[in-house]
Amino acid sequence: MSEEVKEMKKNTGWHKFVREYSIILVAVGLIIVATILGGATFMNGQNFINIFRNNTVLGIIAFGMAFVIITGNIDLSVGTQLVVVGIVLLSVLNATGNIVIALIVAVLFSCGLSAGVGAIITKGRVPSFIVTLGMQYIYRSLAIFILDARGISGEVDAFQQISNYEIGGVFPLPLIYFAVVFFVCFYISKYTVLGRRIYAVGSNERATRLSGINTDKVKIMAFLLMGITVAIATIIEASRMNSINSASSGNGYELNAIAMAVVGGIAMEGGKGHMIGVLFGVIILGVINNILTIVGMNVYLVNAVKGAIIIGAVLLQHKKRD
Amino acid sequence: MEYALKMNSINKGFSGVPVLKNVDFSVEKGKIHALLGENGAGKTTLMNILGGVISMDSGSIELFGDPVKISNPAEAQKNRVAFIHQELNVVNDLFVYENMFLGHELHKGATMDASTMIQKTKEVFERMHVEIDPRAMMGDLQASYKQIVEIAKSVLMDAKLIIMDEPTTSLTQPEVENVFSIMRNLIEEHDVTIIFISHKLGEVVEFCDYYTVLRNGEMVGTHPIKSENGELAKQADIARMMVGKSVMDVEVYKPHEIGEVILKASDLCIEKHVDHVSFDLHAGEILGITGLLGDGKDELVRGLFGDMPFASGTIEKNGKVVKYNHPAKAKKAGIGMLPSNRKENAIIKDLTVMQNMTIVTLDQYKNGLSLSRAKESKVALEYKEKLNIKVDNLANLITSLSGGNQQKVVLAKWLTADPDIMILSNPTQGVDVGAKNEIYGIIMELAKAGMGIIVTSGEAQEILKICDRVLVMYHGVLKGELQRSELSEEAIMILSTGGILD
Repeated sequence: MSEEVKEMKKNTGWHKFVREYSIILVAVGLIIVATILGGATFMNGQNFINIFRNNTVLGIIAFGMAFVIITGNIDLSVGTQLVVVGIVLLSVLNATGNIVIALIVAVLFSCGLSAGVGAIITKGRVPSFIVTLGMQYIYRSLAIFILDARGISGEVDAFQQISNYEIGGVFPLPLIYFAVVFFVCFYISKYTVLGRRIYAVGSNERATRLSGINTDKVKIMAFLLMGITVAIATIIEASRMNSINSASSGNGYELNAIAMAVVGGIAMEGGKGHMIGVLFGVIILGVINNILTIVGMNVYLVNAVKGAIIIGAVLLQHKKRD
Repeated sequence: MEYALKMNSINKGFSGVPVLKNVDFSVEKGKIHALLGENGAGKTTLMNILGGVISMDSGSIELFGDPVKISNPAEAQKNRVAFIHQELNVVNDLFVYENMFLGHELHKGATMDASTMIQKTKEVFERMHVEIDPRAMMGDLQASYKQIVEIAKSVLMDAKLIIMDEPTTSLTQPEVENVFSIMRNLIEEHDVTIIFISHKLGEVVEFCDYYTVLRNGEMVGTHPIKSENGELAKQADIARMMVGKSVMDVEVYKPHEIGEVILKASDLCIEKHVDHVSFDLHAGEILGITGLLGDGKDELVRGLFGDMPFASGTIEKNGKVVKYNHPAKAKKAGIGMLPSNRKENAIIKDLTVMQNMTIVTLDQYKNGLSLSRAKESKVALEYKEKLNIKVDNLANLITSLSGGNQQKVVLAKWLTADPDIMILSNPTQGVDVGAKNEIYGIIMELAKAGMGIIVTSGEAQEILKICDRVLVMYHGVLKGELQRSELSEEAIMILSTGGILD
């Protein structure tokens, strides 16, 4: 009885709001602090555009990562997958001179890699942590080998416009990609059969299987979504710099994306969290980076503060949840 | 009369809803006292107050004649009250002795003092007259021995009052007897008193000394199991006290028409579990499969549902040979399964009641690419009404429901797929008496509508109540088949222990 009553209380009104959206409160709190610290340098439209622009690539990966984590898995290979996909993208671009073909090949290639990872995890019954850790090494090593530790640049000028064109001279296109990816991921997670199954698999895989659902397929689909977001992120990244470096591109992206998802309330054990939370996770990490730069924090200390804020944000959410 | 426990005028409410109303509860020293009531009657709340897990709004507690204040579990332990919870709190990957001392490990310098812990564990087991090797791996023990280790823990802590919350739900009959004989022994030799929370009235009558019934947070009464003239309390009477109306004598079985064979299983084998089992299932038939733990019935039905591969044998459905290597295939072919152990196998805890109900047939609710909330809630509402599921908001989490209502949701999720064969594994596990009868009623209705139903259960009572025909298994082998007219608890027991009927 006690549990029931508590549970009922949790599902109504203010409690539900706090439990579901405490992340928004965290973000608002952070923005207030940032405004106090940074003043007008922080609180202006151009700076907000910058925050989003600087985090488009990571944010888009974070949305894909959220699907994978909700199924109870993880993908540690996305940072180096970005490098491999980027090499393929720029190679095809330079060889064909055709942007559309290059984009299509990049997306298909990235999806193929992710689906392969998903297949090894499900059919081979190897934990995703292990498989994607291994893939991280493989991708990076192959990339460095193929390019001899150098980079590859694009030779089609129009390609750079994908990331660098600004609508009306102020509004960069990547923000639109980011918004579209967010809405699509939000829609899939909340309003489609696949989305529901992804949550079900993460919440109780056994019960989902016994509901006559092919749980392996669901997990592979989640990785496929991850693959698509990685491809989009790669395109944006490669276009912005017009190059991909085999040794340095994508470094640490997987951990940043995981941090955004987790700060956004995606639970590592699976089955919990939503895309709106991830959006705020992206904003929170973006604002942290931004404000630390504005106040001139020693660059060597930036990550320490970031780490502490990540832990703090998740702690706060757990507290609210109880 | 000496009392181990007196709880006086206990009141407790949660956010304004009273769950215990002026409850007086006394337990005589040296007895096994059953605390009974439907889910939500307040038994667990009352015991949680005693165990220091939650606090009471008003009232007083006396332990062995002295007034006490228990505001946290540590204080309960100090007062020598032990609370053994419903779920076994054992760690399978540790040794038995490590489990015994979990959280109270003995040290010798910086290392654990294994030899003393083993010695002390041995002593406790000797005092209880049980033979368990302290160095055995916990995970290798049978369920009843795990339960006994839990009891041994409270003996080790020198508890004088032991609260056991449904300790026997996962045990078979011989295991239950084993646990009770050990409990009896503790009382006689070590001056212990036991409060026993259970839904299994058979056990209560067989093994307990007193019973107290709570209903809707109020005390209904306390009575001895054996009256002064030596008469045993009747299960039907106890059940009536629990639900406030007569339920046990409700005849749930209704004769219904039995049709053609729809499923024919021949020579099914699953390594070590199922040994050349053959049987038919008819449309509109309720076929029981029973036996003791390790009889292979669970594996057999998992095989039928595609959750486990058969090593050999064939299955024909409607005259066609079929093979399912995944539950998804069985579902497509019109077979549904309500699995045993709801929490692990059936409940998707982070989804709502409605989402749990529609998970099996999600594709039905599509509107273009999207799931249509309207279509989903229409079906969910329909089954909420049909199966009388008590939930005020379908958007509540499934975990907010009582066991009986959760089970109805699991049943409903399969009914949405309209299967022609339904496998029900322990359909009333962890379900209170009132809801049990409702579920039996639903099963009857389904059979009447022509569904072929396989019910597996270790509870003979359940099998007797609803089945048209019963298969009894013993160590993977089909030992016998009983028609409804031949059914009796004795016949089932003889066959399931490997005997032969005359």
